Amino acid sequence: MPLVLLVMLPAAAAVVLLLRGRRTDAAAPAIAVAVAVIDLGLAIVAAIARPSAEVTALNSIPGAVAVDGLAAIAMVTVAAVFLAVVVFACGDIGRGEARSRFFGTMLLFVAAMFVTVTAVNIFTLLAAWEIMGATSYALIGFWWSEPGKARSGLIAFITTRSADVGMYVAAGAALAAGAAGLNLARLDEVAGGWRDIALAGLALAALGKSAQLPFSFWLSHAMAGPSPVSALLHSAAMVAAGGYLLLRIEPGITATGWLGPVVAWIGALTALLLGAVAVAQRDLKQLLAASTCSQIGFIVLAAGVGGVAGGATQFVAHAAVKSLLFLVAGAWLAALGTKNLLRLRGAARTHPVAGITFTVGALALGGLPPLSIWVAKDQILSAALPASTALYTVGLAAAALSAAYSAKALAVIWTRPASVAPLDVRAGRIPVSELLPLPALAIAATVLGVLGVPPLAAAWSRTLGTPDAPTSPPWEFAMSATLAVTVIVLVVWWQHRRLTRSDELVADTAWLRDWLKMEAGIDVIVVRPIRALSAWCSRFDDRVLSQAVTTVGSAVLRLSRVVNARLEWAIAAAVAFVADGARRLATAAVRPQTGLLHQYYDQAIVGMAVLVAVFILMR
Amino acid sequence: MDAIAFGVCSVGSIAAGITVFRVASMARATFALLASFVLAAVPILLLGLTYLGVLVILMMVMEMMIMVVFMLMYMMNPAGLMPMKMVHNNRVSTIVAAVVFVVLAVGATVTPWPHGGRRSNADPTKALGLDVMGPHMLVMVIIGLVLFATMVSAIVLASARGRYDRYGDDLRVRPPQDPVQGGLGGRRRGGLQR
Amino acid sequence: MILSLYLILAAGLFAVGLYGLLSQQSIVMIMMGIELAINGVIVAAAAVWYFIVPGSPDAQTVVLVAMTAMAVEMGMGFAVTTAIFRARDVDMVDSASDLKG
Repeated sequence: MPLVLLVMLPAAAAVVLLLRGRRTDAAAPAIAVAVAVIDLGLAIVAAIARPSAEVTALNSIPGAVAVDGLAAIAMVTVAAVFLAVVVFACGDIGRGEARSRFFGTMLLFVAAMFVTVTAVNIFTLLAAWEIMGATSYALIGFWWSEPGKARSGLIAFITTRSADVGMYVAAGAALAAGAAGLNLARLDEVAGGWRDIALAGLALAALGKSAQLPFSFWLSHAMAGPSPVSALLHSAAMVAAGGYLLLRIEPGITATGWLGPVVAWIGALTALLLGAVAVAQRDLKQLLAASTCSQIGFIVLAAGVGGVAGGATQFVAHAAVKSLLFLVAGAWLAALGTKNLLRLRGAARTHPVAGITFTVGALALGGLPPLSIWVAKDQILSAALPASTALYTVGLAAAALSAAYSAKALAVIWTRPASVAPLDVRAGRIPVSELLPLPALAIAATVLGVLGVPPLAAAWSRTLGTPDAPTSPPWEFAMSATLAVTVIVLVVWWQHRRLTRSDELVADTAWLRDWLKMEAGIDVIVVRPIRALSAWCSRFDDRVLSQAVTTVGSAVLRLSRVVNARLEWAIAAAVAFVADGARRLATAAVRPQTGLLHQYYDQAIVGMAVLVAVFILMR
Repeated sequence: MDAIAFGVCSVGSIAAGITVFRVASMARATFALLASFVLAAVPILLLGLTYLGVLVILMMVMEMMIMVVFMLMYMMNPAGLMPMKMVHNNRVSTIVAAVVFVVLAVGATVTPWPHGGRRSNADPTKALGLDVMGPHMLVMVIIGLVLFATMVSAIVLASARGRYDRYGDDLRVRPPQDPVQGGLGGRRRGGLQR
Repeated sequence: MILSLYLILAAGLFAVGLYGLLSQQSIVMIMMGIELAINGVIVAAAAVWYFIVPGSPDAQTVVLVAMTAMAVEMGMGFAVTTAIFRARDVDMVDSASDLKG
């Protein structure tokens, strides 16, 4: 019951808001906040009660949702972040905007997200997955009338959708193998080949949704949407759903043997390379986006090596941290009108609350012990170390890079601006509704580190249903901690010096800033061939198919002309011949009628003679 | 005796017949025809059909008399002094006539005629009379009608003008609406003019 | 005197009459030819009566009918000749080709 309500309440509210349109603009925020609060309560209740629900859909495949340990954690996280984001959005999406559409779509998204995290079989997962994709497209392109925003939404949608083909393939493979109801938990019991295909397909879909390599470029475009959207979708919910899915099918991944290392390496490389990309960014939201890819890469790495506990911790911690950072970036964007790092110089000093919470979040992001993300990363790296030292090294390097970009951002916002800007530009106030959720998220970012403490860690693992995670030796902790602190301090000092001297950003490499030119690569490898193919198909249709129709028509015309010329002429000639013969016969028939009596007598006598001859002969 | 008579008469009859068409004079043609008829009636008499033979002779004599008048009336060549071509299609007619004669003669000789039936003792004339008054009365009645029709139509054809020409459609009209003035008669002659 | 001779006589009369009616131009001459032909029929009928059916007078009736036909033919023929003569002043059959075609 609480699970059903948890899903249906936002869904129903979304339907109402979306259908009513602009008329409910005034009531939309209130409705959304109310639903978010109720949902948080319901999520906590459901997390404790662990219910399940089922509705008959296809022949033997129900639409089933159930709450287990992992789902409980995810549900509560999503509900909490959703509440924070909705409260923020009350102030960010102001009066003149299409609030009904915004909040309606957000509610629909969160309903789909709940179903995704609690889905039992691939069918339910697929349905919710697709709804998430559709709503994210609508949310990214929220301001569709501005040029380029709709295109950004389209790029995001098409890229994730292309990756979702993997999920369809997985459903097909699972059906072919006869997996009972496509149950996710029983995928590892499926016979060999199909299992590999199914799991690979699911992994592909998850990687696409999580913006891992080589799909990462769509997250860059997704930053065109409003900041609340970035805070929810692109930190806690949608991109994290991919990592969540990988955590859920982790037993299956381990069972295949080959998929685990592949997934782990993809995650590690994403973490490393996208971390470098983040370091090179000039735009705060782009930096945060690249950082999201990098952090989710850690979750993917965890799923690959079997560290479900670490992955779950990272999921929760990253949700809190990244949503906080995105919200602050959005607040500054609304207040100061810019997301360019150089122009945000000293923003923390003019907006203290935002600045302090941003600092807390950035330090957590950088992996400063004992904040949440450091704990999570360490759990993951502990799981990675026994699997492969190379993985561990790459993960460690990625952690260092995350420290670097966090420090860069921190340095920029705390450095005093070069000159005192005019008051009207720098004095945009951040509304209270926007500031409200920030402290709570900051506290969460800090406090969630306790999940790494041994007694709690054991309870965590029990909740997740995984065996106890191997803890790494203390020297590993010490090394990572030292690494993080060192990098943060160094980079802060370096960036601060560069700013004060030349008002430039460090590590400003072009090809890194351009997201490793992935989009250009995809354009060449995928987009252009498809366009060429479609152009060829169009030409084929025009020249051959429609030409065929025209040719058939003209051929029929020509045939009819030939028939007319040859055949009908012959027929007409034959008819004329018959008519002519009849006419000539008629003319000849008139000739005996001379009017002269003796000739009539002659004819009569001849006729009589013939008759007599016949008569005689017949006797 | 009978055979000789038959032979002579038959030959004479045919010769006379041919003569009809070879002479130029109309009177001679008519009398040749008469001779042919009479000579043809003799074999009939020889067969014992007295009534019919006499009938033929009498009838033909009367006919020829009348025919002479008409021939002279229309052709105006009584003595044959004016030779005129009176035939057309001579060759074809000769051939046709010859062929027909040959076919009929051959048929007459070759055909197996049935043998004559029992001869009755009755007078053929009497038998004919009784037959005409009895079983074959219908024939006579129709012949009578035909003769009557002939008379009527002959007069109609031959008369130049009749009552209807004189009076118009209604015969009671007085005075008559005669398009030809001058009372009864044919064409206008010189005479009283009104 | 056998039947065949009588019939040959009849055939001869008929053939001569046929020649006449086919070749003569004048209507009156044609009538003469017809008369000759019918005469042949009369002779043949009489011969048939005598040689084949002497018991019944049927053949004599044929003779009577033939004679009537002669009379009728002559009467009508002269009437027609008169009418044509009145109309066209000729008595040639060649000029009476109105039924041509």
